[in-house]
Amino acid sequence: MTAFLALVRKELATLFASPLAYLALTLVMLVTALIFFDHLRIYNQILFLYASSTMGGFETDTVPDHINVRDSVFFPVLETLGITLIALIPVITMRVFAEERARGTDELLLTLRLSPAQIVLAKFAVTYAFVLVMMAGSFVYPAMATLEGGIGTEHLLAVFVGLSLHALGLASLGLACSAFSSSQLVAAVASWAVGFVLWDFAWAGAFVGEQAGRFLDLISMHPRYGSFAEGVVNLEHFAYFAGLGLVSAALARFSFDWRRVAG
Amino acid sequence: MTENARRGVRVEADALTRRFGDHLALDGVSLTIAPGEAFGLLGPNGAGKTTFIRCLTGTLLPSGGEVRVDGLSPTRDPGAVRARLGFVAETSRLYPELRVEGFLRFAAGARGLAGRARADAVARVIERFALGEVAKRLVGHLSKGFQQRVSLAQAFVADPPLVIVDEPTGGLDPVQRDEVQSLLRSLRGERTLLLCTHDLEEARALSERVAVVNRGRLVALGATSDVLAGDPLALFRAEAAA
Repeated sequence: MTAFLALVRKELATLFASPLAYLALTLVMLVTALIFFDHLRIYNQILFLYASSTMGGFETDTVPDHINVRDSVFFPVLETLGITLIALIPVITMRVFAEERARGTDELLLTLRLSPAQIVLAKFAVTYAFVLVMMAGSFVYPAMATLEGGIGTEHLLAVFVGLSLHALGLASLGLACSAFSSSQLVAAVASWAVGFVLWDFAWAGAFVGEQAGRFLDLISMHPRYGSFAEGVVNLEHFAYFAGLGLVSAALARFSFDWRRVAG
Repeated sequence: MTENARRGVRVEADALTRRFGDHLALDGVSLTIAPGEAFGLLGPNGAGKTTFIRCLTGTLLPSGGEVRVDGLSPTRDPGAVRARLGFVAETSRLYPELRVEGFLRFAAGARGLAGRARADAVARVIERFALGEVAKRLVGHLSKGFQQRVSLAQAFVADPPLVIVDEPTGGLDPVQRDEVQSLLRSLRGERTLLLCTHDLEEARALSERVAVVNRGRLVALGATSDVLAGDPLALFRAEAAA
């Protein structure tokens, strides 16, 4: 446990010694704010149109039901944020294993009293913690919209859980990609590719037949993420993201064995 | 220094072989290093020295044969073997963004030292390797000579009975080389020291016995003065491995 905690502390120090961590935090909050205010601006324009031209003055009962903060701001922000995270998370995960390999410090770690499993666990734990902090920061704007839109706290919590699980799932994939490369760029590109492919397979359903389509839907991230956004907390969806994390961690652990064999 | 470190450990390689595809990096190398011995592993670049060390530290699986530290296999008992060794890598493989003291604290913690024991161990190596003046500085801001001292310090922080040093003076200027060699000289006799180098003078100055590997084969083994007498460069030429 001492060795594991020492590695966790080292990982945190390394992470926050790099401008990348601050850059990623700033970028995610900035992008979230931009997405939020952009949707809010569109929503306001729609309200303005109803208020000024059609009715000759703003009256709330003249605005159709589907024009509300929840449907016009909150859900579109979450949808865009989900896709944006696919692009942003690999910026954080790309260096985690690849940088160690490129520097040769992975061998130093292995000659200490650290097992490959401990190394993988420590790196996953620190990355997860950072991603959760990032998500908490980025959730401020959607939460503000939610409070105004009259969505309950439970729904809000479900959305945050979904957003976090989605980000952690992407982080897991990114870490697995980083574990198999000594190039941060290759790790990032691989993470983007895997993330975008796994995001939503619904488009492929029409080409591969019904059964295969169902399977592809089963491994897609979007339906799970969307479900949390709707306020539906489903154990099956938890299991999906937990599975993603476990498979990724197992792959990262396997990369150590693979390197011992391949050299 | 503990009694354990003073005694050192025995290192044995028995027909150690390692292939990378068609390339035979180690070809049936057999040797024994006695406890407490300063042993030099010599050879030209690409001879298989680093491969030997990687098999010994357990970061590479042998294709054949076996290597043992204190009777333990790095393949079957990696944790027990790592508990007995300190490793100084070929180039200073360090974390440039960490401060010297922080890095040594991490190295001590990762070797299972906590609390007072960790603080004492860090203080001890900082004093022994004369790192006091740079203890608060970032590793990446140090000269190569100091970085190599930090690398040595991390290997000694848990006082292991076996220390493996891979090309300790590579890339250093003459003054830095002399400093690092003086440090290594002072470490002889207190534990098993495996020095991996292509520098004949370094091997002569620091090793009691040497083994010369060339193209993955063991071409000479014996007392340093005997093996390096005459024309030792002949052992480095391709014909020696034929």
